[in-house]
Parts: sequence; structure tokens; C-alpha cells
Amino acid sequence: MPRNPLLRAWAVLIGLSLGSTALSLWLWPPGLTAIAGASILTLAWLKARVILAQYLGLAQAPFWRRGFEIALALFCLVLLGLYLAPGLG
Amino acid sequence: MSDTSVFDELPGDLMVWVLIVSELLVFGAGLAAFLAVRITDPAGFATAQDALYRTWAGVNTVVLITSGALAAFALRQSECARRGMARLALLGAALLGVVFLIIKSVEYAAKAGAGIAWDTHPFFTFYYLLTGFHAAHVVAGVVVLTLVAWQDAPRNIEAGAAFWHMVDLVWVLLFPVIYLLR
Repeated sequence: MPRNPLLRAWAVLIGLSLGSTALSLWLWPPGLTAIAGASILTLAWLKARVILAQYLGLAQAPFWRRGFEIALALFCLVLLGLYLAPGLG
Repeated sequence: MSDTSVFDELPGDLMVWVLIVSELLVFGAGLAAFLAVRITDPAGFATAQDALYRTWAGVNTVVLITSGALAAFALRQSECARRGMARLALLGAALLGVVFLIIKSVEYAAKAGAGIAWDTHPFFTFYYLLTGFHAAHVVAGVVVLTLVAWQDAPRNIEAGAAFWHMVDLVWVLLFPVIYLLR
């Protein structure tokens, strides 16, 4: 893993993006698509955290980083709930 | 009593952050609305989604993430008074923004060729609305990055790069919701 924080952030983002694309291209059995979807949303949440911390520089602003991360986590939970809702009916 | 406020901790201009937050709220509402409408017809949304090119959208994600890294690198170089390197990185970031738009144009042309329009299915209404609005931000970002490469004061580069990272941030949330969730 690169020592430069920016290069490390880029490598992590590329890895997470390839991971989420691979998860979606995989032919999941019908019962497991929800798990794949939840994993894809989790990877998106992780990517957004890296961009906020490293690209937008919030790693140097702990108060704001915490606020943005709480809002982002709540938003991703809303998305997850809406995504899973059709299967609950 | 300290004279510093939490706003001093925020990197860059406060108004740029106001812009970033308002843009995130708009796109966030759009993505939530997309998934809310999907509840009414999950099978129809899945069938419509099959018409998208996930692999090319994945390539575009790599392009935009790399472009964002170049913009962040440009700011670091500017802070170290390496103006030439900063300008080169900004132009590289803008060029990758153009690559993103070319891939997006090919995608739109393929949809049009297949007779898919915004009113074909509610999925495509959201698809064109959200990806089109995002592409408009990419166009604006390419212009902004080119402008700050020309007027390269560190404060300008910081504001331009922050705008570009917002475009990046929106894409990493939009891409999985529109293209990947089955």
C-alpha cells in the first residue's frame, strides 16, 4: 500500500470501485441479491468517506469530518432501507 | 476565551462548502426518490437497468476518481509553490473530465439508438435526470479546473478542486444506486 496519503486514497477508491462493479456483474442466486446490494451500498459509503477525508481534506478537520460522516451514514441507511423495502412486502 | 471557531477548521472557503452541501442534498433527494419509486416496480427497474453498460460506468468511475486525485495533487503542489506541476495536474484532471463526458455521450447515443428515451420507463426518467444533471456538473467542473489552471492562486485551486471533489463524491453515490443495485 502506498505511503503517500493521496496515492493510498486513490488506490483504495479504485479497489472499492472495482469491487462494487465485480459484485454487480456476478450472477447471484435470487435469495442473495439483497446481500450483494447491501455490500455495494457499503462500498459506496466507504468510498464517500475516503473522498471526504482525503480529497476534500476533512481528515484535518475532525469536527466537520464527524458531522459529514454521521450525515452520510444516515443517508446510506435511508438508501439501504429503500433498496430492501420491496423484499419486505 | 478562544477567538477561533469551528469554521476556521474547515478547509477552504465556507461558501464552497455551502455549495457542496446544497448539491449533495439535491442529488441525495434525487437518489432517495429513485429508490422510493423503484419500490412500486422492482422487476421493471431491474429490466430497464439491464440496458445500461455497467462496465463502462465502472471505467468512468475509475476515470473520475483518478481525475479527483490529480485535482487534490494539484492543490498539494500549489501549496508547495510548484506552479507548473499544479497547472499540469489541473489540466490532466480536466482532460479526464472530458474523457468521462465522451464515455457518457457514447452511452447516451447508444440509448437513443435503441429507442430508449426519458419517458420509456420511470427508471430512465431518473437515469437521464440524475446522470444528465451530474454530467452538467462535470462540464462546469472541466471549465472551472481549466480556469483555475490559468488563474492559479492557491485559493482558486482549492475552491476549484473542492467543486471537482463534490462532483466525484456525487458520482460514487450515484453510480452504485443507478447502475449496480439489482
